[in-house]
Amino acid sequence: MLALQDTKFGSAVADWLMSEKSLEHTRSFDNEIVFESYGVRVRIQTTSPELLEDAERTARKALLDRLEILESKEAEHTFRISADENETMYLFLNGEQVSYDKFHARFFKFFNGILRIVVAEHARDTVFIHAGVVGWRGKAIVIPANSFEGKTTLVAELVRNGAEYYSDEYAVLDRHGMVHPFPRDLSVRDDEFRETDVPVEALGGKTGTTALPIGAVLLTRYEENAGWNPERLTVGQGIMEIIPHTIPRIFNTKFSLKVLNTAVSDAIILKSPRGDAGQLAIKLLSFFDNFIYLAKIT
Amino acid sequence: MNNSQRPIARKSGLVVQEVPDEVLVYDLESNKAHCLNQSAAMIWKSCDGNNSVSEIAKLVESQAGGKVTEDFVWLAIDQLSENNLLEKPVASSFEGTSRREVIKKIGLASVVAVPVIASLVAPQSALAAASCTCVNPPSCSNTPNLGCPSTTRCNSSGLCAP
Repeated sequence: MLALQDTKFGSAVADWLMSEKSLEHTRSFDNEIVFESYGVRVRIQTTSPELLEDAERTARKALLDRLEILESKEAEHTFRISADENETMYLFLNGEQVSYDKFHARFFKFFNGILRIVVAEHARDTVFIHAGVVGWRGKAIVIPANSFEGKTTLVAELVRNGAEYYSDEYAVLDRHGMVHPFPRDLSVRDDEFRETDVPVEALGGKTGTTALPIGAVLLTRYEENAGWNPERLTVGQGIMEIIPHTIPRIFNTKFSLKVLNTAVSDAIILKSPRGDAGQLAIKLLSFFDNFIYLAKIT
Repeated sequence: MNNSQRPIARKSGLVVQEVPDEVLVYDLESNKAHCLNQSAAMIWKSCDGNNSVSEIAKLVESQAGGKVTEDFVWLAIDQLSENNLLEKPVASSFEGTSRREVIKKIGLASVVAVPVIASLVAPQSALAAASCTCVNPPSCSNTPNLGCPSTTRCNSSGLCAP
């Protein structure tokens, strides 16, 4: 807390943290649900029924409705949401305040993201990788990348050109390294970083429904005027590149590495910056057609 | 250069994953990941506290099927020590010579791939990398908590960062 006071905004933040810490304890969190998603048990407690309704709706959206409400009150992670008399909302995770906001939509958008990360970090028998995924000829093409590196743009172009949509957010791997769909609406950003949720059908695409083995991993990011000139990586080099995008790397390291090895050991792993996504999508799908054909006859 | 040293590979706090022709090592204490090529991995596995550098060279030579010098082993040990993959750090044996020069010298004389360790520091937690709403990019990093955890700020890339 003292260190914060050395920064420009430190003093204000420190005061605010102290006030909100006490707020959590003075409010009554009488409204509650407990659910399980991907093997993770989460409790949400709020100070009003309306906030609980909003929180449950957000949780269902965040986890694509893959959650089961439980009778049991036992949970590994507890979110608490409260609002003060000025209608500022506060979010706590396991007793620590993680956010506050006066804007309802922005507050719940952040809650949506944090909840998904908590489930992804602690999921049982599953490894979440921050990546875009499409299916093509029975194989998954996985594109691990940070936000704002053009992942969704490339996924959208691949889908427009006939690939099946799996996700623009997570590659969800089971213990056998198979990729399962996590097909939330594509989160398309405009030039000013404003996001719009776009259903895959609006791109003329369709969602994949079955788990696929990984055929290719593309390590790429948008760079103006960049050409696609890929370097082929070894399995070890590829996994090194994927590790920073592997969500449970801290909490389930051994399992994560084992699954990554199983998942990419037969995949082609390519690294290159890219320019225009539209042209690259056509080139990539054609390349993989040839690659899969060659793999079949050799 | 003391070739009678008997280095010991670190075991605790590491997760080791064998992959085809390489070994991945994740250091749980530093959150660093390392990728050891086959030569580096063979030398690391031979560091059992009983083998001297000369003995490790002979062991690796028999496995790799090509001449392996003590300099070759030292090149791996240098990197293993630098990356905290040995129980005790070992002083660099190539003082006054750059690693690039050593690699060049060894590489030209050896048919066995020179030992290489690639490393990266993994981000601490996915929570810290949660994307956020950066409404006005130039001012985002100066504005506390635009949709970020309280200990982070939304930077101009739209990422929550310290």
